[in-house]
Amino acid sequence: MRWPRSLQSRLGVGVALTVGLTWLVATLCAAVVIRHELDEAYDSALQETAQRLLPLAVLDITDRDAAAGARQVSRFARHEEFMSYVVRSPEGEVLLRSHDADPSVFPRTPQLGFHSTGTHRIYGEGAVSGRVVIEIAEQMAHRREAVLEAAVALLVPLGLLLPLTLAGAWWLVRASLRPLRAFRAEMEARGAGNLAPLPLDGLPRETLAIGTAANRLIERLRQALEAERSFTANSAHELRTPVAAALAQTQRLIAELRDEVALRRARQVENSLLELARLCEKLLQLSRAEGGGVLAETPQRFGPVLAHVAHDVRRMHPYAGGLRLSVPEAETHGSRMDPDAFGILARNLIENALRHGDGRRPVDVVLTPSGVLRVINSGPVVDENTLATVLRRFQRGGSAADGAGLGLAIAERIASGAGARLTVRSPAAGRDDGFEAVLDLAPTGPRSLAG
Amino acid sequence: MRVLLIEDDVRLGEAVRDQVAADGHATDWVQTLDEARSGVRAAAYDLLLLDLMLPDGSGLAFLSELRRGGDATPVIVLTARDQVSERIAGLQAGADDYLVKPFSLQELSARIGSVSRRYGGNPNPIVRVGAIEADLAARAVYRGGKRVDLTGREWSLLEALVRRPTAILSKAQLEERLYAFGDEVESNTIEAHVSRLRKKLGHAAVQTVRGVGYRLGSG
Repeated sequence: MRWPRSLQSRLGVGVALTVGLTWLVATLCAAVVIRHELDEAYDSALQETAQRLLPLAVLDITDRDAAAGARQVSRFARHEEFMSYVVRSPEGEVLLRSHDADPSVFPRTPQLGFHSTGTHRIYGEGAVSGRVVIEIAEQMAHRREAVLEAAVALLVPLGLLLPLTLAGAWWLVRASLRPLRAFRAEMEARGAGNLAPLPLDGLPRETLAIGTAANRLIERLRQALEAERSFTANSAHELRTPVAAALAQTQRLIAELRDEVALRRARQVENSLLELARLCEKLLQLSRAEGGGVLAETPQRFGPVLAHVAHDVRRMHPYAGGLRLSVPEAETHGSRMDPDAFGILARNLIENALRHGDGRRPVDVVLTPSGVLRVINSGPVVDENTLATVLRRFQRGGSAADGAGLGLAIAERIASGAGARLTVRSPAAGRDDGFEAVLDLAPTGPRSLAG
Repeated sequence: MRVLLIEDDVRLGEAVRDQVAADGHATDWVQTLDEARSGVRAAAYDLLLLDLMLPDGSGLAFLSELRRGGDATPVIVLTARDQVSERIAGLQAGADDYLVKPFSLQELSARIGSVSRRYGGNPNPIVRVGAIEADLAARAVYRGGKRVDLTGREWSLLEALVRRPTAILSKAQLEERLYAFGDEVESNTIEAHVSRLRKKLGHAAVQTVRGVGYRLGSG
């Protein structure tokens, strides 16, 4: 039998088994003691009976005609008889016997004192200088029955006690483990991004230390993630500001220069700085995507973030075909992706679609209430081999368009880090051309946003 | 317009200030929030360009402070942080627009024009008065369909009048819009700019309301 894994079952079964075994051992000990005491009492009664019967038997024998032979005491009212006796001469001649006495039970010649055969306990007592000996035999079965009945009387309550003990132990353990179960449920219910301390109210002293240690660990994790986020944000600031200053100074230089050669060089510097700025942005996004900051502590709604990103992209990347956006009023997916990480992801998908779209037809951006984001652009069908590599870093899908080849890789890293799934297909669903990126924010099914 | 630039990075601040000034706006540049607080108390600005990470505090907190105090001056946030949540927080705190560093100075000029038009109550960048047509977004002015070249100060003066075509603006109000703190302003500078504008756009383009100031004419 396998030992149950549940602590509640282990304690319940363990307590019940311990109580049952203890009771059983106690019953066995009691049976041994009872047997001993009963033997003493029965032996004493056997001896008393022999000593009381012997004078009577002697009188009966001496008053009787010697020639009359052995006499069998007549039977009185029928009753349960456990004892029989014989009165014999030292040579074994039966002088008197009880009405149910079986001579074969007794030894061939009389023996004094107690002795036992397989079936009887026998006591012998002599009189008239040993010429008359009475032997009383008692059935051993009678004694065994008495001990058995006493043992059964002790064992019967155990039959009732065992299930009661099991139920009581079960209930007690269950009640005692209630705070532990609540603790477990809290841990199970929270998502990977929820780093709030676990409630320790009511936890038993034995497990309080585990809860405290878990909370200490969560706090350290939260601080580490916070430090990482802060580092990423500060790095972004430290990197962007000098690039911004260099770009702005260069653009002022271009505005003030009159010499054509110098102007051309200044424009080359400006283009290099713009390229550097784009690459910096992508590398900062990639570092964010590969860090631990892609999960929020609570479920998020992404419609407003998507609308904001779309507004921003429309302004920064004018696109002749236009950008069609559809966001739901309510969301039911329960994804805990960090909103900023989602913003980076969505921006990369949209920028990718604008960059590679054919420019005459709109890019469609659709977010469903169940958390599926589709970004679809028109354009030539991308072959399967290329499709298989576009989610890797520095892969530009064979396109001649600008870009570092990092956008889709960043989106894929964020998606997998937050438990979402990003897939790409070409042609787009329901079309015979184009490219479609599908982000499923809750691939394992929706959860409540209140969780 | 009179613009207050709050930016602690010297090289970036210098370039932005020069760009905004080249667009014809009077630009004061400060590098701390303390100086910014003193600035908004001392002068009526038409626009604030606000960096979010400043040595003596958060630009966002300063913005919230302004809005709580009832100050509705348009604000464009300049931020080196690209998180969407921070941008949304900035807009919710009362920013009118934001630019993520590094940004193009042309983009900055366009945003300044867009925000100021929105605040002027006329989001349409094309304003026509008589024979004069001013494109506030393109910073271009036409007279009878022909483009007229203006200097930065002349454009700024015209823009101030065009934005409030029926209002009379005093000489002091125009000086405040055209010149930053510390600029040398001679007593007849505004008259000189008005005179040059009249030469380029026609005498009736700017009307003098004696003893009060100037207003837009019909060209």
